[in-house]
Amino acid sequence: MLHDATILEVKLFSIKEHLLTSITTGAIILHQMKTLTGDAAPAAGAAIAIRDLSFNYGRLKVIDGLSLEVPPGTSFGLLGPNGSGKTTLIRLMAGLLKPAGGSIRCLGQAPSPAHARSVGYMPQLPALYQELSVEQNIEFFARIYGMKDNSQRARRVEEVIRLVDLWSRRRTSVLKLSGGMKQRVSLGCAIVHQPPLLFLDEPTVGLDPELRAHFWQHFENLTSAGTTLIISSHTMDDAAHCQQLVFLRQGKVIAQGAPAELQAATGSSGASLEDAFLYFIRKGEAAGNDN
Amino acid sequence: MTTNTFTIAGRIIRQLVRDRRTIALLVLVPLVIASLVGVSIPDKAMLDYIFPAILAVLILFFGFLLTGISFLRERSQGTLERLLASPVSKLDIVGGYLLGFLLFALIQTLIIFFYMVYVLDITYRGELWQILVFQVLIGAGAVCLGTFFSVFARNEFQMMQFIPLVIVPQIFLCGLLWPVTQMPEYLQWAAKFLPLTYGVDGIRALMLEGQNLADIGLEVGVLAAFAVVLLILASLTLRRTSAG
Repeated sequence: MLHDATILEVKLFSIKEHLLTSITTGAIILHQMKTLTGDAAPAAGAAIAIRDLSFNYGRLKVIDGLSLEVPPGTSFGLLGPNGSGKTTLIRLMAGLLKPAGGSIRCLGQAPSPAHARSVGYMPQLPALYQELSVEQNIEFFARIYGMKDNSQRARRVEEVIRLVDLWSRRRTSVLKLSGGMKQRVSLGCAIVHQPPLLFLDEPTVGLDPELRAHFWQHFENLTSAGTTLIISSHTMDDAAHCQQLVFLRQGKVIAQGAPAELQAATGSSGASLEDAFLYFIRKGEAAGNDN
Repeated sequence: MTTNTFTIAGRIIRQLVRDRRTIALLVLVPLVIASLVGVSIPDKAMLDYIFPAILAVLILFFGFLLTGISFLRERSQGTLERLLASPVSKLDIVGGYLLGFLLFALIQTLIIFFYMVYVLDITYRGELWQILVFQVLIGAGAVCLGTFFSVFARNEFQMMQFIPLVIVPQIFLCGLLWPVTQMPEYLQWAAKFLPLTYGVDGIRALMLEGQNLADIGLEVGVLAAFAVVLLILASLTLRRTSAG
């Protein structure tokens, strides 16, 4: 299964490379301009619609007038260095932080306990009950997300445990699991109630390449089934897997688009996403100097 | 109280049951303390007199400590944030903690009670079930107090410092060491606002004077009101969202 995932990964990468050469630079720049100025009209039925969002920790501006839209059924990557505001943005969207300004709409509603059932949240740290077994952790989250029917819940819990490949360890305490296994349990807890919108905060951090490919294969299956995934990461490897990306820096969106579009915008055919990220940083700095 | 309250309570119970070392400590610590009380007070009449008040103090202490630290762990492990991002209400979370930890606080007090009555041969008056019901009430207050104060602590170190701040003054002012009526008037006033004062008065009336729960309506009412108010306050202070 993991081997297949790797082949799929390579194929997807080839398609993206192909796209890179076929998209016109003019169209990309127009797209970027719209994103950066935030004047694009809100798309009907956007999974996430954020307008002029701001958030401060004391005097520190963590999110600074950020606007973005996420179409439903896409894997949407939030990419940026440490401290760029990725986790804060996810916590704002999950309703765990109150914005200082602006608005957030998740599936058409402001974040609230009432809409929490439609959302899955995987925090950066595994955040699991260490003494409980894999099965008990996932079962607990299935219950609190409203899966009341016992047989239906038991079937789904088993399905999720098998999906994260921990069936043989289902009765093991989380305390005794490796870091990667804990990440898998954490993912299981976030997806058990089959939410249409998933917030995944650095889901692949600390995972080995094989496990990362396994995770991405599952994320692709979820988006194929119509789930919207918001994934934060600081690695370019993760970014390449996302259908759409925003580059975040100092709480602002510096660019948005498909990975191939962002790479192509640099004007260099062999540009990596890292090159693209640096290109947009320099572009933003140059624009700032001009002003 | 919804099914989520019981789901959270069930999870807390399962968590503690799976932690064998903690379970062993939950049983051993009350036994060690009860033995110490029994051995350190050789005068049987004095022991009979002081035992109900010590029982009330220990219920408060264990309930506060156990719940406060556990609730804090929930915060530091990130599971509290995960719960707050879920559809459960804040009252479900605090109520679940109350139910879950009340069970363990009750087990600890039963261990102390039966050990001192049957092993250390303490004599008491009053009906056993009424004494146990009153112990549950003190335990509920203790659990709510622990949950409430853990909301204000950001780490275990801060939580530990709430013990001398919250528990020790109550021990001095509840009438365990000296009758409240002989204290300066301002301390008598202060004692009226502390739950342990009512816990000690009530349990002494039940165990030493052989009164029943109806006779100590004031103490029962104040302790119940105290638990309810703290439960509501704890859920109100547990912020789902924090402003920047």
